[in-house]
Amino acid sequence: MVNVLVVGLDNSGKTTIIERLKPRPKQSMEVAPTVGFNVEEVQKGALTFTVFDMSGAGRYRTLWEQYYREADAVIFVVDSGDKLRMVVARDEMEHMLAHPNLRKVPVVFFANKKDLPISLPPAEIAQALGLNDIQDRPWNIFPSNGLTGEGLDRGMDWLAERLGKA
Amino acid sequence: MAATAQDSQAPLRGPEKKDEDREDESANRCDSRTVSRQYEQHSVWSCLQVITKLLYLLNQGESFTKKEAAEVFFGVTKLFQKQDINLRRMMYLCIKDICPGADEVIIVTSSLMKDMNSKTDLYRSNSVRVLSKIIDGQLLAQIERYLKQAIVDKSPVVASAALVSALHLLGNNAEIVKRWINEVQEAAQNKNNMVQFHAVALLHALRASDRLAISKLVTSLTKANVKSPLAQCLLVRYVAQVIQDSQPGPNGEQRPFYDFLESCLRHKAEVVIFEAARAICNLRDVTARELTPAITVLQLFLSSSKPVLRFAAVRTLNKVAMTHPLAVTHCNIDMESLISDQNRSIATLAITTLLKTGNESSVEKLLKQIGSFMSDIADDFKIVVVEAIRSLCLKFPTKQRALMNFLSGVLREEGGFEYKKAIVQSILVLIQEIPDAKETGLGHLCEFIEDCEFTYLSTQVLHLLGQEGPKTKEPSKYIRYIYNRIILENATVRAAAVSALANFGAVCEALRPRIIVLLRRALSDNDDEVRDRATLHLQQLEGKAGGPEAVQPRVDVNLTALEKALSDYLAGPTDKPFDISVVPKAPPPLRGAAGGLGLPSASTTSGGGALPATSAARKDPTAEYAELLRSIPQLAPLGEVFKSCEPFRLTEEDTEYAVFCIKHVYEGHIVFQFNCTNTIAEQVLEDVSVAMDLADAGDFEEAFTIPLETMPLNGVGQCFTVVTRQPGAIATGKIVNILKFKVKEIDPGTGEAEEEGYDDEYVLEDLEVTPADYVKPTLLGNFRKAWEELDPSTEKEDEYGLGQREALQDAVEAVIGILGMQPCEGSEAVPPNARSHTVLLAGIFVGYQQVLVRMSFGIDAGNNVAMKLVVRAESLELSEAIHQIIQDA
Ligand SMILES: Nc1nc2c(ncn2[C@@H]2O[C@H](COP(=O)(O)OP(=O)(O)OP(=O)(O)O)[C@@H](O)[C@H]2O)c(=O)[nH]1
Ligand SMILES: [Mg+2]
Repeated sequence: MVNVLVVGLDNSGKTTIIERLKPRPKQSMEVAPTVGFNVEEVQKGALTFTVFDMSGAGRYRTLWEQYYREADAVIFVVDSGDKLRMVVARDEMEHMLAHPNLRKVPVVFFANKKDLPISLPPAEIAQALGLNDIQDRPWNIFPSNGLTGEGLDRGMDWLAERLGKA
Repeated sequence: MAATAQDSQAPLRGPEKKDEDREDESANRCDSRTVSRQYEQHSVWSCLQVITKLLYLLNQGESFTKKEAAEVFFGVTKLFQKQDINLRRMMYLCIKDICPGADEVIIVTSSLMKDMNSKTDLYRSNSVRVLSKIIDGQLLAQIERYLKQAIVDKSPVVASAALVSALHLLGNNAEIVKRWINEVQEAAQNKNNMVQFHAVALLHALRASDRLAISKLVTSLTKANVKSPLAQCLLVRYVAQVIQDSQPGPNGEQRPFYDFLESCLRHKAEVVIFEAARAICNLRDVTARELTPAITVLQLFLSSSKPVLRFAAVRTLNKVAMTHPLAVTHCNIDMESLISDQNRSIATLAITTLLKTGNESSVEKLLKQIGSFMSDIADDFKIVVVEAIRSLCLKFPTKQRALMNFLSGVLREEGGFEYKKAIVQSILVLIQEIPDAKETGLGHLCEFIEDCEFTYLSTQVLHLLGQEGPKTKEPSKYIRYIYNRIILENATVRAAAVSALANFGAVCEALRPRIIVLLRRALSDNDDEVRDRATLHLQQLEGKAGGPEAVQPRVDVNLTALEKALSDYLAGPTDKPFDISVVPKAPPPLRGAAGGLGLPSASTTSGGGALPATSAARKDPTAEYAELLRSIPQLAPLGEVFKSCEPFRLTEEDTEYAVFCIKHVYEGHIVFQFNCTNTIAEQVLEDVSVAMDLADAGDFEEAFTIPLETMPLNGVGQCFTVVTRQPGAIATGKIVNILKFKVKEIDPGTGEAEEEGYDDEYVLEDLEVTPADYVKPTLLGNFRKAWEELDPSTEKEDEYGLGQREALQDAVEAVIGILGMQPCEGSEAVPPNARSHTVLLAGIFVGYQQVLVRMSFGIDAGNNVAMKLVVRAESLELSEAIHQIIQDA
């Protein structure tokens, strides 16, 4: 049983991605902005993930920290097309990583909405977010498409591998 | 919460102790962090246990700090992935009860919304309840459709939950909830009792501000078949409210909905039967005939095996006994067996009811029965008993000795301040009202102050001794009691005793030298006030400082007026001395001015809410309006209002405007108060007044009007028209009324009223001023004595045929109702099956002139009632006016 915390700015595609992680018949195509949070359970090979899908809207971001303590891993979703708010995403991320309640758990970054023509490549996003400065925990970034599910497996496999080692 | 938390938690702890529990114990506190860790690591079962403990703590009155609350709350939210019905239920409870703050609590919104669409009934219902508690208007609009669905959900649990939530939401989001009316209406047809109950409550709440709509709703519901007993109870209450709000029809016309209430008396469910009986008993101006079926079912309840039914019935009958003692006498036998009821509340209510309905011969027996359990009941109930004894004593002055002995007996026993106060107050009233009771009463009070721990009561008694003692046959016997107080008591009591003594010296010349000696001793008292009073009174008794007459200056001015005059004086230039002669004189003391029927009202003194107020069911209109009238500056020069009459309607039902008139009688004026309501939202009515055509009322002259700025929509606003008449005159006549106002239409487009309106008028029903408007009830201790004191030459006698009546009691009640005077000595109750009966009535006319009535009734085999009416008053005109009232009726 692994607790995964899914965070990122609003409209970045968190809920969409989680839907795609569920078995096909249970997926729902229609997602509304999350109010507060949702818990889901998803199976990945031998691992059962309990996924906390947090709302990214400003009003709720301060509540993320209530769920740090039990997080065994973090998924941070970034909207690759939202250049304007990249700094906001970076700010929230730094805040989170500096929080005492969050253990040194692995972090997966999904550079989501890679299908958008204006989307930035993962390398540029890594730079914009200053990921290279993260020294104290394993992390990785993967381009993804929440609508099709493309790229999600790679991220989840990496995560499973990290967690297996721990 | 640390220490107590540990204790209260202890008995709940299960057998298998976790390590963390032990840690807890050593830390000796319930660490909420432990709790949240439990959530993650342990089974559903242990989570359940922890939540149960937390809720238990909360319900024990523990409070969590903000931090603790937040920790518990977020801990609980992390359990949403567990799909266990029992756990989820506890989570909902926890979230509802431990709400850390508006900002945090919204975090569960999405999770709850998911539950709202779950297949499990329990998830759907409870999530709706929680959600409605934490949601704001914007979010509500988003989830509205789910709630609408929930209202008509197949599962009754869910439907009820949604309806109750809607009731709660109505407060802040009425607009949204109103859109669900169709669903609510459908739910009101639901076969499930609880759902129907909630739906009916919501239907009513949705219309709460609109009387017309309520009335329509109630009408349709009484025709529909409401199956749920609880819903039916609600309906009975709503019906009672509608009856209360509607004006009585012209004489004799049956009340709307009475049939419905009566049919509910035959309902299967006891709750409904009781609710209907209670509603009937509380009807305004309920008649003996309307009461009968309700009393019959209550009587059956009196011998029920269920204590709650017995209590409910006796409590209701107790109230009815105030206004309709005769109706309740049929239950006396059942009531008597309740005196020994194990439940003390039932016994007390039974006893006090019997006291109210009892006749003269049963007084002693009842007193003995009460005496046997007086020490077993709480002070609240004792006060009720004392109040009942007091009314009884006023009703049967010849029984005063036995009743007074009872009161003095209980006065000697243990008891709190409120209780003692009620007893002393009762004795004071009896001394004032019943001359024969004076000497014994004063004697009892003297003994009481010998050993009284309440300063307030001691001073009150001392004052009374000073007033009444000197007038008794043997004043000297009180002096020792009073002087003892000067030696033994605290300063406040000592000062009161000094003044009381001085009164004896002033009134009884023979005692004066002795009093002067006693007062001298108080000159060395260590309290300023005591010394000052002693010094002043000594001077007065020795002929200085105004002489003995000044010891008790007669202030025969109206004290409220004096206060006002003094503050006016102080506000202006004070070079001239204050002139007391300009202050209005006080009206003669109004006896028992409180209760509507002149009976001392119990509600003012009985503490606690354990018992219903036993005062008259009807409010005294004069007291009700006094405040309003006083607040209107233009009316101040008119003086004190003598009497306010019951409101009556000047418009038909369902017209654009509803206008009610209340007549206020003053010494030289009548103030007509018009309560106006606009019922049309599309218009604004401004500058509203009522013009009176006095052509048929020649003794009146219009003085002035006080217009109403705007007539409130579905609210009540007042305008006044004031007429003058000869001071003290019983002027009568018929008056034609025209409502005048300016109309401004509201533009449906903008919702704004147009700038320029137009003047319009509306003819109201006529109103009549009759002699009855000038008379009001007054309480009398000794009717015979008062009768003999009035000049026989004012006597006027006549005979009247009253036609066929069902019983003598009907005729008696009708005539008392018409005259609006106070029945004396319990004479309003006709003994069962009596063929003739005499009723004594006392009243005062405007100008505080007494009028007494002696009516003899007889009924023949054909149920024809005849009445001989003899009146004495302070003038022949007044006696004639009383006959006029009967002739006009
Ligand atoms: N084009 C494109 N659209 C996406 C992708 N992933 C998600 N979206 C869309 O982005 C919008 C927001 O997605 P959500 O999953 O609701 O975003 P979220 O991060 O959960 O937002 P909050 O719950 O408000 O924090 C939706 O309209 C999705 O259809 C993607 O890979 N490509
Ligand atoms: Mg979301």
